[in-house]
Amino acid sequence: MSVASAFRDGMRRVHGAPMLLAGMCLVTLLVALPLSVALRGLLAAQFARSLVAQTAAAGVDYQWWQEFLGQTAGLGATFTPSIIGFGAVLDNLDALLDNRPMAGTIAGVTVAWLVLWAFLSGGVIDRLARNRRTRAHGFFAAAGTHFWRFLRLGVFVGLVYYVLFSTVHEWLFADVYPVLVRDLTSERVAFLIRLAGYVVFGAVLMFFNVVFDYARIRIVVEDRRSALGAISAGARFVRGHSSLVIGLYMVNGLAFMTLLALYALLSPGAPDSGIGLWSVLLLGQAYIVGRHYLKLVFYASQTALFQSELAHASYTAGPAVEWPESPAAESITNAGSSVVF
Amino acid sequence: MLPRAAAVFLLLAIGNASPQRPAPAVAPAGPVASLPTPAAPLSSRNASYRISARLDPDARTITGDEVITWRNVSAAPATTLQFHLYYNAWRNTRSSWMRERLLSGNTALASRPAEDWGWIDLTSMRVNRAGTGTDVFSRLRFIAPDDGNIEDRTVVEAPLEVPVQPGETIEIQVAWTSRVPRTFARTGAVGDFYFIAQWFPKIGVLQDTGWNCHQFHSATEFFSDFGTYEVSLDVPEGWTVGATGREVARRAHVTGRATHRYYQDDVHDFAWTTSPDYIEQRAKFEHPSLPPVDIRLLLQPEHEAQAERHFEATRAALRSYGEWYGPYPYGHITVIDPAWQSGAGGMEYPTLFTAGTRWIAPPGAAQPESVTVHEAGHQFWYGIVATNEFEDAWLDEGLNTYSTARVMEQAFYPHFYAKRYFGDFVPWVFKDLPLTRAADGNRMPAFRAVAKNDDQSTPTWRYWPASASAITYNKTALWLHTLERMLGWETVQRILSTYYSRYAFKHPRPADFFTVANEISGQDLTWFFDQVHRSSNVFDYSVDVFRSEPVIARGIFGDSGTHNYEAARSTPATFHTIAVVRRLGEGIFPVDVRVRFETGEEQRWRWDGRDRWKAFEADGPSRAVSVEVDPDRVLVLDVDTTNNSASLRPQGRAAATKWSLAWLIWLQDHLLTYGFFV
Repeated sequence: MSVASAFRDGMRRVHGAPMLLAGMCLVTLLVALPLSVALRGLLAAQFARSLVAQTAAAGVDYQWWQEFLGQTAGLGATFTPSIIGFGAVLDNLDALLDNRPMAGTIAGVTVAWLVLWAFLSGGVIDRLARNRRTRAHGFFAAAGTHFWRFLRLGVFVGLVYYVLFSTVHEWLFADVYPVLVRDLTSERVAFLIRLAGYVVFGAVLMFFNVVFDYARIRIVVEDRRSALGAISAGARFVRGHSSLVIGLYMVNGLAFMTLLALYALLSPGAPDSGIGLWSVLLLGQAYIVGRHYLKLVFYASQTALFQSELAHASYTAGPAVEWPESPAAESITNAGSSVVF
Repeated sequence: MLPRAAAVFLLLAIGNASPQRPAPAVAPAGPVASLPTPAAPLSSRNASYRISARLDPDARTITGDEVITWRNVSAAPATTLQFHLYYNAWRNTRSSWMRERLLSGNTALASRPAEDWGWIDLTSMRVNRAGTGTDVFSRLRFIAPDDGNIEDRTVVEAPLEVPVQPGETIEIQVAWTSRVPRTFARTGAVGDFYFIAQWFPKIGVLQDTGWNCHQFHSATEFFSDFGTYEVSLDVPEGWTVGATGREVARRAHVTGRATHRYYQDDVHDFAWTTSPDYIEQRAKFEHPSLPPVDIRLLLQPEHEAQAERHFEATRAALRSYGEWYGPYPYGHITVIDPAWQSGAGGMEYPTLFTAGTRWIAPPGAAQPESVTVHEAGHQFWYGIVATNEFEDAWLDEGLNTYSTARVMEQAFYPHFYAKRYFGDFVPWVFKDLPLTRAADGNRMPAFRAVAKNDDQSTPTWRYWPASASAITYNKTALWLHTLERMLGWETVQRILSTYYSRYAFKHPRPADFFTVANEISGQDLTWFFDQVHRSSNVFDYSVDVFRSEPVIARGIFGDSGTHNYEAARSTPATFHTIAVVRRLGEGIFPVDVRVRFETGEEQRWRWDGRDRWKAFEADGPSRAVSVEVDPDRVLVLDVDTTNNSASLRPQGRAAATKWSLAWLIWLQDHLLTYGFFV
């Protein structure tokens, strides 16, 4: 299977699972919503009955915003102008690439979302691998079946990423970069050096990321129990099909960059009121749906690529998990036909 | 508009660099007699310097000698001489400058490697008077008049055997060697870029009360007397040099080096820069009623496309300050675009300043415009009106911050909030967030956080180092803007132009400014200056209770003999409105209180703002909808304007919902970004 075929196949599989997309979007929304409600409370308390709220409701009141930031901390301190439009995307990418620390509440919800996603990704990959409807019980049964394997894998993965950020990132950007730019008088050259740093670190991240991706896929598709064995198998697959794997990764990355570019172009900035407000919020949510879609396509296309290299395309070793019968039905079955009711 | 008399006076008195005089051509160096003939002095010229200095880029050293011609303009004999040796602030971590930096939590500077530190060592000093010379080098001693720090070497004193009498002139010959540091306090070097300021032994200011020669402090700048500077700079050939004054001669040597000679009358400092990388561009400032100014721009190659933005910002400053306060008298100005991470940006020196921009500088983000306007403006507040920056830094920095915000509002509006991402390189301009003069131009957010840290009347060098700039720059801009809204711009403009013309080429003190303000406004503003300058009071007025309800009375009604109890007696179509406003801060300022009614009518009360609270009540046919304290935002110093109003149709929840939903998108995107890991 070519890279393009894998990507197209991945898209087809995601198109065939619209509820999967809707469900994952809903999960992210539900995880984020409580903090949004908490922030709303902080903002409402600050506005109280002030007339400033009228300008803030109709548009942006930057002076109020500065006053709010001057009086808040923790969760409230994350409500910065960077949340507006495409600034939000830049802010989050910057936080990841520059390894910026996050507020405690945000860190908490991020960990919760990652664990939840790890739980659900067993069902997600199972659904995408089977490429047919598994219904809710099949999805959650697969998620449950693979959760402990994914959790074990997640501990290892988390450890690797922690080491990468605390050593490689630190070495590149806190040790090497300052030395390289120390006597530079050209910002342009310094930026290129930093860019090179991002590329190097990104390549390292990508390597581990893709190995872990195929480890997850092999756990599901081959019904593997061992997380370490799956990592080893994932690495073998990446090594054996490196050009295809890297090519597919790049195509998915390109799709991600295209989505960002579209959002940068279309993002209207700060919400005003009425239709303007709802159009901004809807566009923002459309972008969020787009990101979920691409994440699922990422999973699906990698799964398709892996399956295409198996002896039997679309093979999944694990049998479809049957939803257990209720205790009453089981009791009836066990009792046999001799029992008269 | 420019006061005509002041303009004529300054134009008539313009020195050798006057636009009426042809600029000296760059020519091979000759004797001093070939220098421009000094014109009628604008200043006291009691501290003039002839300096020769050689820069060795390999060793990063400057070897120099100078002759200071100094006249005692005080009423008392001088029994000693005191000199600043600023470079010794970066000799080690025991200097007062470094200790103050550490005190404010800035530890990065203290951990620099060996090659980054700087110092200045005197190698000889002689005092010449009436044809005889006396070697005073052996008697030199370091003193610490401010904090008694015996390890600080930024002030040196030379005891004299024979005092210098009032009016007497002496010559002081000094030789020194200094090590140029990696930039501290906007002077130093990075790569082949050199910006050299506060670099030569500089005599203090002798006042009737004695020497005013402070140690170098981390939160303050400088103070010195006016004079004439003739400076020869020996640098590698092919390196561009920019400096205070005009270049009057240039000579290349067979050794691969070149000497550049600069000359300037009526200035109180001399700074210079050199680099092989500069691009040089020139432009002119012309105005129907102001003298023309030649603008020389030394630009980093990667900023070549931003040349016109630098010129336009410099012109805007010369035009606005010139029209508002008085003309710029020197006829030339040099704008330095410093190298990246040189740390030299945003600093003023006579007839020369450093701006500051970035490789990617999107339009609308006000960089380089804001810093260029500010530093060009310092030619007026600092360069010409030469206040004591050790003690009263607010007098130039504050007036200049206020003026900068005004220029930016007039010439470069709108400009927007911008943030840089990815290692602070990639800018994003938020076009929804225009920056306002009242809050951003005056820098309210930074002031709000530290408003109580110091009385502004405390000598600047004694401010808490970490918040000195907010008290110096921001607070002054805020109270001057408040004064403008209180008295009107025309009055404030006349105050500032009178102060400018009265104290050009002098060293005014705060009392001089306050006297001019009282005189021109025709009011005794002492109460105001007591609040904003002589205290650390914070201003915060707020609305507390606000109700507007139909009038329903309860109790006994009727005359004697017909007393009737009524549980609810309403007056048809009458509403009782009550608004209680509070003074939450210690600062006292008279404010208006405005209530708006459903019919569109409004009622205003004037409150002297003294009590901690005051209730305003009104009965009328219409229900009130909103109340505001200080509705015209006269009190720009108010640190919390959100609590200045209340509405009976509040939209706080709607606004909070809207913005929390916008934030929700950021959080969802955040989760998906970190979703990279699963």
